[in-house]
Amino acid sequence: MLTVTHLPQVLALFLFVVGMLIVLLRRNTIVLLMGIELMLNAANLSLVAFARSQGQLDGQIMVFFVITIAAAESAVGLSILVNLYRNFGAVTTDRAQTLQG
Amino acid sequence: MVDIIYPLSFLAAASALLALVMLFAKDALTCAMALLGVLLSTAGIYGMIGAHFVATIQLVVYAGAIMVLFVFSIMLLNLKKLGDRFPITSPRFLIGAVSGLAIVGAGTWGILQWIPQSYGTWDNQAMLAAGGNTRILAHSLFTQHAIAFEAVSVALIVALVGAVTLAKRKFE
Repeated sequence: MLTVTHLPQVLALFLFVVGMLIVLLRRNTIVLLMGIELMLNAANLSLVAFARSQGQLDGQIMVFFVITIAAAESAVGLSILVNLYRNFGAVTTDRAQTLQG
Repeated sequence: MVDIIYPLSFLAAASALLALVMLFAKDALTCAMALLGVLLSTAGIYGMIGAHFVATIQLVVYAGAIMVLFVFSIMLLNLKKLGDRFPITSPRFLIGAVSGLAIVGAGTWGILQWIPQSYGTWDNQAMLAAGGNTRILAHSLFTQHAIAFEAVSVALIVALVGAVTLAKRKFE
């Protein structure tokens, strides 16, 4: 039976798997960063739903910190991406293979 | 007491569909708009299950600041001409899709077996009696988690300086 307690957890699982597939399959680095954001969002949803069902506050506090760190991560990631575009002329992952040897 | 399962499942279905749009869309801007929809639906879910402060933060920081940053980068780099071709019949995609479906199926089965049990006292009624979600959260944030709060602010400063330096610098 799908209740208010179970539904956010199922949705969080689905969003996390879709985000993982985006990170694994897409070649566009900006979409890849969006996949990471989707996974973080899924983890946040799971934390908030657990905080509600367990009757505790720590999950919501942790989500607050995760959102802050996600903002920092996307700022740094996008500036790396701008550098990638400047050096390789594209933002696809198959152009940035210079470390592959 | 209104049953919130119906609007909740509507928002869940909307965000699941938009996540799939993110996976399959070719254009980066379409992906950004779909991600914006997912974040807005998630904010609605947070609000409905009683996490009002997190819902506000989600709207302001995630759907506001981070998405502006993403759309700004897409516009700045003019990614429209790239046209990321997504190989839907490649073995890589098929393996990924099958294993993803397996994980979602097994996980959903596991979650539906779970019988939730409350260990704390902060249900929605208790929060309402103590002055609302935001008040309790702020009190906990500035007393019990004050050091983590300061550490996160330092991390934000470091990320800010790092992002500006990285974007300004010319690598040879």
